[in-house]
Amino acid sequence: MSHAWRPLFVVLAVMISIIVFRVIFVPSDFVAKNGDYKFQWHRLSSEEVWKNFPVKHKGRDFCQQCHSELVNKIKDSGHQHVQCENCHAMFEPGKKSHPIDLKDDFGYLLEIGIERSRELCKRCHAELPYRPQTYVITKGTTAETVKFKMIDPTKHNPGIECVMCHDVHSAGFKTAGK
Amino acid sequence: MNLSRRELLKMGLLAVCGTVIPLGALEILKPEAAASLIRPFSEKKRWAFVVDTTKCVGCGMCAKACKLENEIPFDTEVQRTWVERYVQLKDGEVIIDSPHGARYGFTKNDPQGKEINEDDVAKGLFVPKLCNQCEKPSCVQVCPVGATYKTDDGVVLVDRGWCIGCGYCITNCPYLARFFHPITNTADKCTFCYHRIKKGMNTACMDACSFGARKIGLLNDPASEVFKIISTHRVMVLKPEYGNEPQVFYIGLDDIVR
Amino acid sequence: MEEHLAHGALWTIKEGFTYPNEYIYWTIHIVVYPYITGLVAGAFVLSSMYHVFGKEELKPVAKFSLVFSFALLLMATSPLGLHLTQVFNSVHMIMTPHFYSAIAAFTIVYLTYMAIVLAEIWFVFRPFIVQQAKEKAGLLGLLYKAMTLGSFDVSEKALHTDERIIKILAAVGIPAACFLHGYVGFIFGSVKTVPLWKTPLMPFIFLMSAIISGVAGCIVTYIVGMSLKRNFICGASIRSMCKVLVWFLVAAIVLESIDIIFHAYTAEEFWSIMSELLFQRFAFKMLVVQWLFGMILPLVLLLLPRLTMLRAFISAALVLIGVFQMRWDVVIGGQSMSKSLAGFLTYDMPIIPRSIEALKEGPFPITVLLLMPLFLLFIFNKVLPVFTEVFNEEDCGFTEGLLSSKENAKH
Repeated sequence: MSHAWRPLFVVLAVMISIIVFRVIFVPSDFVAKNGDYKFQWHRLSSEEVWKNFPVKHKGRDFCQQCHSELVNKIKDSGHQHVQCENCHAMFEPGKKSHPIDLKDDFGYLLEIGIERSRELCKRCHAELPYRPQTYVITKGTTAETVKFKMIDPTKHNPGIECVMCHDVHSAGFKTAGK
Repeated sequence: MNLSRRELLKMGLLAVCGTVIPLGALEILKPEAAASLIRPFSEKKRWAFVVDTTKCVGCGMCAKACKLENEIPFDTEVQRTWVERYVQLKDGEVIIDSPHGARYGFTKNDPQGKEINEDDVAKGLFVPKLCNQCEKPSCVQVCPVGATYKTDDGVVLVDRGWCIGCGYCITNCPYLARFFHPITNTADKCTFCYHRIKKGMNTACMDACSFGARKIGLLNDPASEVFKIISTHRVMVLKPEYGNEPQVFYIGLDDIVR
Repeated sequence: MEEHLAHGALWTIKEGFTYPNEYIYWTIHIVVYPYITGLVAGAFVLSSMYHVFGKEELKPVAKFSLVFSFALLLMATSPLGLHLTQVFNSVHMIMTPHFYSAIAAFTIVYLTYMAIVLAEIWFVFRPFIVQQAKEKAGLLGLLYKAMTLGSFDVSEKALHTDERIIKILAAVGIPAACFLHGYVGFIFGSVKTVPLWKTPLMPFIFLMSAIISGVAGCIVTYIVGMSLKRNFICGASIRSMCKVLVWFLVAAIVLESIDIIFHAYTAEEFWSIMSELLFQRFAFKMLVVQWLFGMILPLVLLLLPRLTMLRAFISAALVLIGVFQMRWDVVIGGQSMSKSLAGFLTYDMPIIPRSIEALKEGPFPITVLLLMPLFLLFIFNKVLPVFTEVFNEEDCGFTEGLLSSKENAKH
C-alpha cells in the first residue's frame, strides 16, 4: 500500500471517533418529531420541562380562599376585570408585606404586598389623549359600556395618595367611617 | 408540413401542459409536501393570539406579569412581551417609544421622554407585542443545533440545556422577540405561557390585562374565541413580508406601526 | 446599576425607537471571525497558484502561505468560542447539526478544509519530516516520527506520487477555501432581517475581500519576515502577488459598489435609514477608511508604473486595514440600523475591563487572537522549513528573466 493513503486513514479515524462519540453523547429522545426536521428537531424531554414550569399567577380563586369578602366586592365593581395580582404582586422584593408566608404554606411564589403609590393608579387612570375613552363592564348578564375614568395627575390632588379618597376594591369613594 | 393556426395552438398548449404537469408532480418530492401527506397541517389545532389594540390603554400590567411569571429578572432590559406607544403629531411626525418595555406602564404624555402638548397629538395607539409563534419560524430554521423547536400545537420553545448561545436565532427574528436570558445565558422568548395553557389556564399577560386586549386560543377549534375573531373579523399580522406566517393577529393596527 | 445586565446592554447605545430586546448581539468577535477565515482563504489561494497553475515566481511564498493559511485556520474558530454564551455546549454543533441552519454545516466545512490543508502540508514537507525523523533523537525526534505517520518512503517514485497528490489537493483546496469563505458570506447574506446583509452578492463580496486580504497578508508577512531575517526579497514574487491583488481588488470594488448602487436605486423602505448609515454615521468608517484608503488608494498605488517594494508593502498594509474595516462595517453597521427602521444602535466597545464580560468583549482578547497566527507561524517555522526555501538573487533574476521574456512574447 502506498504511503499516500496514510492521511486518509487519519481522517477516517477522526470521523469514526466523532460518530462513536455522537452515539454515546446524544440523548435518545433527540429526534425530528413527526419527521419534521426543519422545525421540530429537538430533545423531546424539553417540552416536558416547559410544561412543568411553575405557575406563579394563580388568580382570584387562590386569593378567595382567605379574602372572599374583598374578591366578591371587586367582582361587582368597576374594577371587576382587574386581577388581585396586578396590584398586589410586587416586583421589588422589599415591598413584600403579606403576613403569612405564602411560599412555604401554599407554594405560592410571588411576593405579595400593598402598593399605595399614585404611580400604580396612573398606569390606567392618567389621562392620555390616545387612551381608549370607554370601558366595558358586565352587570348581571348585560354588558355595559361606561366612560373610562381618567384624571390629569398634575391637577387632580397632586401629592396625595389615591387611596385617601378612593376605595380600590369597590372602585368608588371611601365611605365615611371606613 | 402544413399546420393550421388552430392545430399549432393545440400542439403548443399540449407541449406546455406536457412539461408543466410532470414538474408539478415533482412538488410531491419536496420534504414539506411529503410530510403534509402523512400529517395534514390544515386541521391541526394550534395556539394563536389576538391583540385588540383598540382596547389597550398602555398600563403595562401584561409586561409586568410576564416578567414575574416567567422568571426574567425584573430590572433587566429585556422583555418577553412589551407594549409600544405610537404617537402621531398634527405636523405628521411619528414618535415611538417603549420605555422599559412598558413594564412600569405609560403614565405621562411623554413619548421618547419629551412632554407633548395634548393639542398637538393627531392620533396615537398602544401596540402590545410578543412572540408571534410563527408557523414557519425563521428562528427555528436557523438554529444550528436543534435547541429551539416548534411544538405540535405551534408554540416555539427553547431548550435551555442545549442552546449554544450563538445568537443566530435572535438576529433572525423579524419581531425582536428573542433575547439572551441574563441568568441562564441562553436564548429566551415568549412561550405563550406553555406551562399555563397546557393546564387549561390563560397566559399570564392575558389574565393581567383588565381591558380584554389580549386573547389566546386554539385555531381551528370552533369553541375558541380567538378562532371566532380571526375567522369573522378583519385582522392583520405584523411584518408578513418576511414569510414567517406569524400567529399573533392584530385588530386596529395603523400604518405607523413597525 | 442593574443586578443582571442584559447581554448587549454593556456595549449598545440606543437612539430613537429601538425594540426593547434590540442590542448589538454580534460584536467584535464576529468582526474578527470572517476576517481570519478570509485571510485563510486568500493565503491558500495564493499558495495554490504555484502548485496548480505553475506560477514559478510564487515559489518562495508557496510553502509559507500554505502554512500561514493553516496557522490562521487554527485560530479561525477561537473568536466564535469567545462569542458563544454557552461555549461548553458548542460540541452540539457536530453532535446534533440542523442543516436547515446556515451555520450548522460550519464544523463540517471547517474540518474538511482543515483536512485538505493538513494533508497538503504533510505531502509538501514529507521529505524534510522523514529526514528529521531519521536524524533527530529525543522528544523532537519522536515528534517527527509521529508526523511521518509511519511512512519513511522517500524514493523518487514516492516523491513523484507526492507531487501529483499535492497538485490535486491544491486544486481541490481552491474551491474548498472559496466555499469556506463564501459560506461565511452566506451566513450573513441569508439573515433576512438585516437589510445591509441580505443580498445574494454577499458570498462573492466576502470571497473577493477574503482573497485580497489573504494576498495582502502574505505580502506583508513575507516582506516583514524576510526583512527581519535579513534575507533577500524576490521582487518578481512581490510583483506577481501584487498583480493578483490588483485583479481581485477590482472585482471587490465592482461587487461592493453594485451592492450599494442596487440598494440606492431600488430604494426599499429601509433605504432612508441605510443611507443615513452609509453617508452620515458610518461615512468615515465606510467611505474613507474602507473605500478610499482600503481599496481605491492601494489600487492606484499598485497601478502606478515602476512598483517599488515599499509601495507594495504600503498598499498591502492598507488593504489589510481596509478589509478589517469592511468586516466591521458589515457586521456592526448591519446591526446598527434598528429593525424598527426608526432608530440606531451604536456599538461602544468596552475598553476598560470592569467585569469579566467587559474583558471578554474588549480589545484585549481580540489583539491576542490576531497576533496568535503570527506566533503560530513562528512556532511552525521552528519545526518545519517554512521560510528556508527562499530565492537567492540568481533564482530571482532567472524568474524575472522568464517573466520579461513572456511579456516580450506578448507584445
